[in-house]
Amino acid sequence: MNSIAKTLSKAIIANWLNIILGVMSLETFLILWSLYSGWLHGDWVFSGRHRSTSAEFLPYPWDVLSAFAQSFTVRDPVNNLYMTSHMYASLKRIFFGFVLAFCLAVPLGLLMGRSKSAEAIGKPILELFRPIPPLAWAPLFLVALKFFWGPIAIVFLGVFFPILLNVILGAKSVDPMLIDAARALGARRRDVFAKVVLPYTLPYIMTGVTVGLGVGWMCIVAAEMLGAVGGGVGGYIYNMVYQEGMYDKVYAGMAVIGLLSVLTTGVAALFEQRLTRWMGMK
Amino acid sequence: MDGNEVTISLKHLRKSFTKNRDVVQALDDFNLDVNQGEFVCLLGPSGCGKTTVLRIVAGLESASEGDAVVGGKKVTSAGPDRGMVFQEFALFPWRTVRKNIEFGLEVKGVPEDQRSRTSSQLIDLVGLKGFEDAHPKELSGGMKQRVGIARALANEPAVLLMDEPFGSLDAQTRNLMQKELLRIWSATGKTILFVTHSVDEAVFLADRIVVMTARPGKVREDVRVELPRPRDRTSREFIEVRGKVLEELDEEFEKARAKELSPD
Repeated sequence: MNSIAKTLSKAIIANWLNIILGVMSLETFLILWSLYSGWLHGDWVFSGRHRSTSAEFLPYPWDVLSAFAQSFTVRDPVNNLYMTSHMYASLKRIFFGFVLAFCLAVPLGLLMGRSKSAEAIGKPILELFRPIPPLAWAPLFLVALKFFWGPIAIVFLGVFFPILLNVILGAKSVDPMLIDAARALGARRRDVFAKVVLPYTLPYIMTGVTVGLGVGWMCIVAAEMLGAVGGGVGGYIYNMVYQEGMYDKVYAGMAVIGLLSVLTTGVAALFEQRLTRWMGMK
Repeated sequence: MDGNEVTISLKHLRKSFTKNRDVVQALDDFNLDVNQGEFVCLLGPSGCGKTTVLRIVAGLESASEGDAVVGGKKVTSAGPDRGMVFQEFALFPWRTVRKNIEFGLEVKGVPEDQRSRTSSQLIDLVGLKGFEDAHPKELSGGMKQRVGIARALANEPAVLLMDEPFGSLDAQTRNLMQKELLRIWSATGKTILFVTHSVDEAVFLADRIVVMTARPGKVREDVRVELPRPRDRTSREFIEVRGKVLEELDEEFEKARAKELSPD
């Protein structure tokens, strides 16, 4: 009993220690940030210093925090929108781009992963377009597809390839013995597909989704900066820099993007967890 | 069971395939008849094509020449009339024990209540009660293979094809599973074609032991094991049969090794 209690208390202490270390790391970061800002601004112990010209680029953490809070209660000076409207605009683009990419990439990936001739046909095209970064298309898409479909198309490209590549990988790696087992149990081609290939590939699909969402957010910010109209967090960041020079709001916009990205990948991860647990894979 | 009706009939099976641009002759004029309800072990040195024979009967591979006939019907593809049990279990990891067992019934379109009735019976038969909702990864090797056997039986196949089903189990579990298989066999009366490379296992289980030659595989010797069951591994008769089969196998093993050392 004594040794069990000892191991337990050791584990609890180790756990707390990790939490304390994490908090300390964040605290140190904020302190260093404040100190550097203070140095640039010529405040506190640095009061003998002149205020640097670049001081405006690095506002204090608490200024960023208040700008963050304010962006939800006060309309921004360029688009006259609340932050929630910007978030909605960005989320909408991500959503449409993502859904389109998902619906196309999954069946295509399954086909290319399971059929040699489909792979022979699809591979050259895939290898032709894959190395082109989705953002290289951005200016063209915005001009050609206009401001509604343009950003969606850019997100689509960003999400499409990670999902497609993962699904191909997953469909290819299906254990041939499981397919043999299914066939020996009387499964026809479509049974093998629906009951073996698809469930086997699900975790790979989810990996593609998580990676794709990350790339998707990268794309949406850039697309919005390139001039997508109708709001969007990326456009907000751009405007705050180039039209207003409100750098605290710039950092607030960055925080919002980070939070949204965490939110969407979090939803995907939760979904994946549920799925794999339900399937008994984890 | 009259025991005289031929359930599996293999006539002049030949199988060759290409490997690294070489043509490999796996089977050469392989002939075998297995009677209804009989327990036949295929025994041979590794690479002799015993698994190939099994896969041809299962319809997972086709012979280059010759016919495999099961229950009077020529084998053209895989089908639920032949249950297959794999060495590495080949369970669907995302399905529970019950759902694994019901796979064949699901594919056949059997209604749910009937499916669960059948799977419950089989779970009882193979001794997995209480593990219905477990996933394969939660089971030991022996239990996994119990699922594998139940899953194959769910389709009520005429024959059970077993490809070194206990090959990846530890010695104790292996012995236990052999006894369990004999119990299940006598309860269901299936015809069993069982591939193994263990002489001991073959002598313990089989009505007949078919010793195969080194590649290209054909029948070297068809040994009838007349010992009454349950068989005692330490009895003089058991050791006698075992020694005889072992001798046959050793010769083929030497041949296979000699071939390996001097490739033509």
